[in-house]
Amino acid sequence: METTELLKKVRKIEIKTRGLSSHIFSGEYHSAFKGRGMAFSEVRDYIAGDDIRTIDWNVTARFNHPFVKVYEEERELTVMLLVDVSASGAFGTKTQLKKDLVTELCAVLAFSAIQNNDKTGIIFFSDIIEKFIPPKKGKTHILRIIRELIEFRPRHTQTNISEALQYITRVIKKKCICFVISDFFDRNFQDALKIANKRHDVVALRIYDERESRLPNVGMVHLKNAETGEEKTVDTSDSRFRNEFQEDWNKRMHSLSDTFAKSGVDHTKIRTDDSYVKPLMHLFKKRGRRR
Amino acid sequence: MIWHGIQFAQPWFFWLLLLIPLLMAFYFWNLRKKQPGITFSSFEGLKGYRPGMRQRLRMLPLIFDLLAAVAIIIALARPQSSSSGQNVSTEGIDIVLALDISGSMLAEDLKPNRIEAAKKVAEQFIDNRPNDRIGLVVFSGESFTQCPLTTDHAVLKNLLSGIQSGMLTDGTALGEGLATAVNRIRNSKARSKVIILLTDGVNNMGAIAPQTAGEIAKTFGIRVYTIGVGTTGYAPYPFKTPFGIQYQNVEVQIDEDVLRQIATETGGKYFRATSTPKLKEIYAEIDQLEKTKIDVTEFRHKTEEFYPLVLVALVFLALDGITRYTLFKTLP
Repeated sequence: METTELLKKVRKIEIKTRGLSSHIFSGEYHSAFKGRGMAFSEVRDYIAGDDIRTIDWNVTARFNHPFVKVYEEERELTVMLLVDVSASGAFGTKTQLKKDLVTELCAVLAFSAIQNNDKTGIIFFSDIIEKFIPPKKGKTHILRIIRELIEFRPRHTQTNISEALQYITRVIKKKCICFVISDFFDRNFQDALKIANKRHDVVALRIYDERESRLPNVGMVHLKNAETGEEKTVDTSDSRFRNEFQEDWNKRMHSLSDTFAKSGVDHTKIRTDDSYVKPLMHLFKKRGRRR
Repeated sequence: MIWHGIQFAQPWFFWLLLLIPLLMAFYFWNLRKKQPGITFSSFEGLKGYRPGMRQRLRMLPLIFDLLAAVAIIIALARPQSSSSGQNVSTEGIDIVLALDISGSMLAEDLKPNRIEAAKKVAEQFIDNRPNDRIGLVVFSGESFTQCPLTTDHAVLKNLLSGIQSGMLTDGTALGEGLATAVNRIRNSKARSKVIILLTDGVNNMGAIAPQTAGEIAKTFGIRVYTIGVGTTGYAPYPFKTPFGIQYQNVEVQIDEDVLRQIATETGGKYFRATSTPKLKEIYAEIDQLEKTKIDVTEFRHKTEEFYPLVLVALVFLALDGITRYTLFKTLP
């Protein structure tokens, strides 16, 4: 990809997502992910309407003018984005590919993070750790992350979520907020998820496409597995098969939800052709209410 | 009708059939290679998939294709049917067999005796000439038409087997027998008229002299083949006596001069049969002599029979096209 083209793309995502994070998500994100406690930051003039309990009497006595203490939440949170870049991301049937949606989601989360003075890092994983960008602050860092998201070409095609979770438990010592953004086409990651959730605050964002849950009746289709390269021809006119396919999907989704619930991980699912604003808001609000 | 009498004018086109397995091999080789497919994120939901009827019949368009190719190749080989059989039958000739059944025909110099040998050989002769009209006249002291000219050879053979010595008064009315045969055949419209006269004696009865009968035959354009039966010298002849059948050697007398004269005058030929194999040879020779004349006029009508094949090919191609893009259409 050419640099100018790439930059244009980065810019486009930036404009779109920064607006979202500063207007719609700002408060929600803030309340959803809180720091350790309140720390005193400054005193300021009393303004009518301030809670009298916050008046700093020492300062007031010294200046003979009412002052109030201002507390600020102690933040300095670290946000880690665990992004699944396996080949199954290159799928999407309506408005965009799954990986395009992932890019946008990451951008929104990253911008929300720097607005709240949080550090953001990112890990790309397939069945290995593809790339690790350590957490940092600053807009340029965010833009670099977005660029990497657009540009990155993974070496492997398959998925191993537990590998990524083990890696983040190992590498990030301080408690962080860890977004796992994946289609979760993997098994046996429950233990790793539990362990990671003990140390960090894991949030799962499940990306899926409508056609993964339901097949349309379009006759015979020759399919190719994005991750393994396996090929198969299926007859989608077979309504029995379509029903089985959908049931199987529902079953797997239920077991995934169970896995998340058992591990105490907040999760939401986002469809490629739907707006991600609603599910994210819902997720943030749910977390905000809990605190 | 479809398979009988089909000939191929260009049979070397059948070598193209070797291309059929080649085509199949190519198809399967192509199938093994990477096909274009829709990239799908996960096969997790396809694990329990069992191919349905439609998918298992996916080869059908290929089979239609190959069948069409086979039909086209056969059509290229130019199948032709020749409808010659009926034409030949109209070109057949008329033959009357005039058989001597006098008592002397019981002589056993030909095995088992002269009359039985003559019947057996005549039967084979009839079998060899399925397209001719054949009649049967018997004579001894008088003459009699056993069977008029007919193409129904089953009836003819049946009547032939019914002949016995002693059916008529004894004697040898050679001239009368020949005259009866001539009378039977003279009105025939056939291109060639033939009488085969078989005897073993001298004309000693009847109102018509053999020479006269021969002249009549000549007038009507009838060829007469004459066969004299009997060994030279003496022949064993059975006599019925109160003590059973006794054999006596009797001198063989055949009026060869008359027979030869009749034959040469009418354009036929005289034969002398001294034994059963010899008699067989004689009949075979007559068969040959008369056959060559028919072969000359034989002609064959050839009809090209590729139409049904081309039609079949067309139907298969249409089926292939239709099913490939409707029933068996595969995305992408």
